[in-house]
Amino acid sequence: MPTNSIKLLAPDVHRGLAELVAKRLGLQLTSSKLKRDPTGEVSFSIGESVRDQDIFIITQIGSGVVNDRVLELLIMINASKTASARRITAIIPNFPYARQDRKDKSRAPITAKLMADMLTTAGCDHVITMDLHASQIQGFFDVPVDNLYAEPSVVRYIKENVNYMDSIIISPDAGGAKRAATLADRLDLNFALIHKERARANEVSRMVLVGDVTDKICIIVDDMADTCGTLAKAAEILLENRAKSVIAIVTHGVLSGRAIENINNSKLDRVVCTNTVPFEEKIKKCPKLAVIDISSVLAESIRRLHNGESISYLFKNYPL
Amino acid sequence: MSTNSIKLLAGNSHPGLAELISQRLGVPLSKVGVYQYSNKETSVTIGESIRDEDVYIIQTGYGEHEINDFLMELLILIHACKTASVRRITAVIPNFPYARQDKKDKSRAPITAKLIANLLETAGCDHVITMDLHASQIQGFFHIPVDNLYGEPSVLNYIRTKTDFNNAILVSPDAGGAKRVASLADKLDMNFALIHKERQKANEVSRMLLVGDVAGKSCLLIDDMADTCGTLVKACDTLMDHGAKEVIAIVTHGIFSGSAREKLINSRLSRIVCTNTVPVDLDLDIVDQVDISPTIAEAIRRLHNGESVSYLFTHAPV
Repeated sequence: MPTNSIKLLAPDVHRGLAELVAKRLGLQLTSSKLKRDPTGEVSFSIGESVRDQDIFIITQIGSGVVNDRVLELLIMINASKTASARRITAIIPNFPYARQDRKDKSRAPITAKLMADMLTTAGCDHVITMDLHASQIQGFFDVPVDNLYAEPSVVRYIKENVNYMDSIIISPDAGGAKRAATLADRLDLNFALIHKERARANEVSRMVLVGDVTDKICIIVDDMADTCGTLAKAAEILLENRAKSVIAIVTHGVLSGRAIENINNSKLDRVVCTNTVPFEEKIKKCPKLAVIDISSVLAESIRRLHNGESISYLFKNYPL
Repeated sequence: MSTNSIKLLAGNSHPGLAELISQRLGVPLSKVGVYQYSNKETSVTIGESIRDEDVYIIQTGYGEHEINDFLMELLILIHACKTASVRRITAVIPNFPYARQDKKDKSRAPITAKLIANLLETAGCDHVITMDLHASQIQGFFHIPVDNLYGEPSVLNYIRTKTDFNNAILVSPDAGGAKRVASLADKLDMNFALIHKERQKANEVSRMLLVGDVAGKSCLLIDDMADTCGTLVKACDTLMDHGAKEVIAIVTHGIFSGSAREKLINSRLSRIVCTNTVPVDLDLDIVDQVDISPTIAEAIRRLHNGESVSYLFTHAPV
């Protein structure tokens, strides 16, 4: 076997995305075994030589057992390190703890920074992620980070699936205004903003619309959908302001807690998520859910990274 | 002299602020000589013992031609204190240099704010106090504690006492600042609006779009910094064209580089307000200033005494 070949590793659970990536690259996933001891400890072994190879570890970290997935990833990185891999790249499309990216409350940890430190300590040489909650998280690392964008995939989805000439892009909160504005530019559309006024004592918090959505198909864009309470409320506000219909497009469809019920009971016509997070089980419970497959973007970034090619094409384009 | 006392050292970037902080704390500035040799190398001498003291070095990121000199001064001051056996070194950097270079959003661009963080730590810095970081996440670039103070409470006081805020609306000049403006709007129980600069197409002039309604209102245009002021002036024109009664710009860091002065003179802004995180040497009638030295002095006092700093996140000290 030649040295410095691509080797794709994935944990034993949630291999769907990794399999799609492998198929796209025309490769097999490297055989490995990851199991839990009776104590709950992770045990991992790689079933073939990875000496002097270019290792890509593909994970999907979603809701529920985030910390188990994190430890598995760290252990897989360290296993590759001690097995004399040439380079180890962690592919983490949904970066865990990304929302804990600043110390805006007193005495709060910056756990995203801790995650970055743990990955490099485990032996990671490079990271590929997607739609980081804040781009600045790249600066938490001392190794290169390629933050890919779901935006080209989202643009493609909108053009193919929505009557987008009648649409307006919506940010569900003030923090996401920049993302919405960028997407609106790409599609030559207007955008509007929903602002959740802070609740005062004895008052229910109000959601305020900034902008005009009359007779428009509203496309709410966000980087993450968690419990979806905000999305559901946003849809109501938009329809009260005479929107024609509302769909939501989200990069990381974490969908934890009561998310499925919230979507099913909401006035949203559709909720579209990429497969950065495991998704298959949720689609069965919620007919409104749709998926955008981003495995092509990841596969192309792996190929380019391995070959030493520029990745910037993927920042604006969907791979052919 | 007892050990572990506050020692205030000032670099050359902002002596006025250092003096205000010193007066507020009742602690005289320590004797420091910071000069440049003829070959432009920076030379630092500390004129009194600082052994086992709690040292605060006040140096802001500023200056079209001197920003790198001031950065080098800060690093050398930190290192001088380190080798002089101080107990702890805190860099007080009201305007963090290179803060806008905080992400790799263009291919192959460095994250220079991260490099600055690494340099400060390497020089020997133990703690950082700064204000209104361009992105809060810059705190995560450091391995040491960072207290990011806010100009917001001081700005709130200014708005409540010096503007017609009952007939005002808050405006962000770009989509990225919507969160800051929304936060202020909450605290003042005001509405807000947003300006979006549509991306330029081939052969077209870029357009400024207004999201929201400002007719008949005093617009308070809020940003974290005013640099060349091109965006602020264009935003002001957009607001006036949409029927605003007047436009007042309020920023934390009043940098005013390049042709900012000419732009402001020719603009329709009725006032531009900034804090003194950096020296402001515009001698224009429309410039007003908010003093944030009490916030920084109080942060130093609390840090030194091991008290909580979080009071300052929502209050400007009296």
